[in-house]
Amino acid sequence: MYKHLFKLIWNKRKQNFLFLSEILVSFLVIFAVFSFLTYYYQNYSKPLGFDYKRVWSISYDNGELPKNRDSLAIFYDNLYKSLQAMPEVEAVTFASANFPYSSSNMSTGVHQNGKKFDFVNNYVVGEGYKKVWNVSLLEGRWFSPEDAVGTNQKIIINETLKKLMFGNEPAIGKLVGDYEDKNKMKVIGVVRDIKTNGDFWPAGSAIFSQLDTGYLANNHNILIKVGESANATFESKLYKFMATSLNNAVEIQHIDEMRDAKNEITIIPMVIFIIIASFLIINVALGLFGVLWYNINKRRGEIGLRRAIGASGSAVSYQLVMEALILATLSLVVGCFFAVQFPLLNVFNVPASVYLISILISVLFIYSLVFICSLYPGKQAAGIHPAVALHEE
Amino acid sequence: MIRLQNIEKVYRTDTVETLAINGISLDIAKGEFLSIMGPSGCGKSTLLNIMGLLDEPSKGNIKIDSQDISSFSDEKLAKFRNHKLGFIFQSYHLINDLQVLDNVELPLLYRTSSAKERKRLATEALEKVGLSNRLKHFPTQLSGGQRQRVAIARAIVGNPQIILADEPTGNLDSAMGNEIMEILINLNKNEGTTIVMVTHDESMAHKTHRLVRLFDGSQVQ
Repeated sequence: MYKHLFKLIWNKRKQNFLFLSEILVSFLVIFAVFSFLTYYYQNYSKPLGFDYKRVWSISYDNGELPKNRDSLAIFYDNLYKSLQAMPEVEAVTFASANFPYSSSNMSTGVHQNGKKFDFVNNYVVGEGYKKVWNVSLLEGRWFSPEDAVGTNQKIIINETLKKLMFGNEPAIGKLVGDYEDKNKMKVIGVVRDIKTNGDFWPAGSAIFSQLDTGYLANNHNILIKVGESANATFESKLYKFMATSLNNAVEIQHIDEMRDAKNEITIIPMVIFIIIASFLIINVALGLFGVLWYNINKRRGEIGLRRAIGASGSAVSYQLVMEALILATLSLVVGCFFAVQFPLLNVFNVPASVYLISILISVLFIYSLVFICSLYPGKQAAGIHPAVALHEE
Repeated sequence: MIRLQNIEKVYRTDTVETLAINGISLDIAKGEFLSIMGPSGCGKSTLLNIMGLLDEPSKGNIKIDSQDISSFSDEKLAKFRNHKLGFIFQSYHLINDLQVLDNVELPLLYRTSSAKERKRLATEALEKVGLSNRLKHFPTQLSGGQRQRVAIARAIVGNPQIILADEPTGNLDSAMGNEIMEILINLNKNEGTTIVMVTHDESMAHKTHRLVRLFDGSQVQ
């Protein structure tokens, strides 16, 4: 029977072109939607790697402060201690602008055994960073004041970079080349990945390097972890303290609000995309339904004949549903050919599993759509009275 | 072979009730070649459809090969039609998107038989109607007479005991019509197939064993 149906479909390929095209386009759109969703879900399901609650960022400008490096270092040390002394403050750290959920990115390249690893996030952090974010150490230790001196700069890497560079080997004590592979940096710790760009984006590979107090003039961010008692009054008090101390305007932001804003940047376009795709799918479903309905009305004579020569109502219904599914299969073969190029060519540097899962879900979705859309026309075809259909012809 | 007892067929709409067949009883023996004649709208095709289990009578009883088919399910009726009956239509009812051989194989698709077996049987059936050289042609590439011969091959491919032909020569000129009639007569004679044929052509009807005339849904001869 399948060979017969293939022959019938092949001989009617021109008439079936519209149906085949509709399915192909739908598959590609669905594949795109599911690729996004799978990618976001895979990232979402991974642990965040840090605790953002009750963390505030204070952004400031050094314009009115002393230019002398040592004076500035003493000034910031005092400021740091003053903030730490506040009863509402649990932890304080200086950090580069690319702290979690900020809009800044800073990346570098590192070398290991002559191999270069590009696009490595470079977080320049103070000693208090680990405590502010509650970052988990997997191996080694966090920075201490003694790390500021010594022959090799000390760095901490995240687990993604550790796997890329060392696989399952221990990373502690290993030397890693900098961007130009001129200076060696010593790995003193490995931390759990932290998703700094929002819940739906990967952590990527990262190194953490210690903030040099000599360069505080170039730093513009302090992060504080506050206690549960920290309220708007405290925030106002903190603002006044910081503005007075720095003799400049400051901006205090709550990280949980920044997180929401960051996630919205991903969620809103995705929701819009899903709505547009849903409308497309509804139109495609109606189109498929219409094409199948039209075909059945055009084939009433054939259906009457099949009933006369031995097809039961359910056999007619089955045949029409199978025809639709075979047509869908032909389109899906072409669609999968294009879709499978994405993992093969590593397009957008997205894991192959994202594309493969999306292909599988899209194929199932299209089959379900075609099956549902062909059920009712198939049932109607089964109800065609053979004597009437044969007489009409 | 076919026993019709007091068959009545009424077509009802919301406003009109039409009596298409009015109490027809008919016995058709095994191996008989029977023709049915009558003016248009007298119920010939309706009667043939009832005999072919394509339509249900409103009243009456029908037995084919001693089996009362009134209690048959749709599945069982389909199987019964497939094994016992062959149909020939005035307008051939060939599927234009399939080659001649595939058209003839159609009834065998609803049986359990291998593709090889189907091909063999279909080729044999086409040989019987003299079309073994047209296996790969499409119906649109054939003349009317050839198409009807394909339809006959399709009707006989499953080796049915009964063939029901609804004006098989109606669309053909007299020469072609005679050719088709010859094939049917030979089938009846050589294979012992019971044939019931609806026709408007008196000369064709006289070539059969028995003629039944209908008028306004009743049997008049």
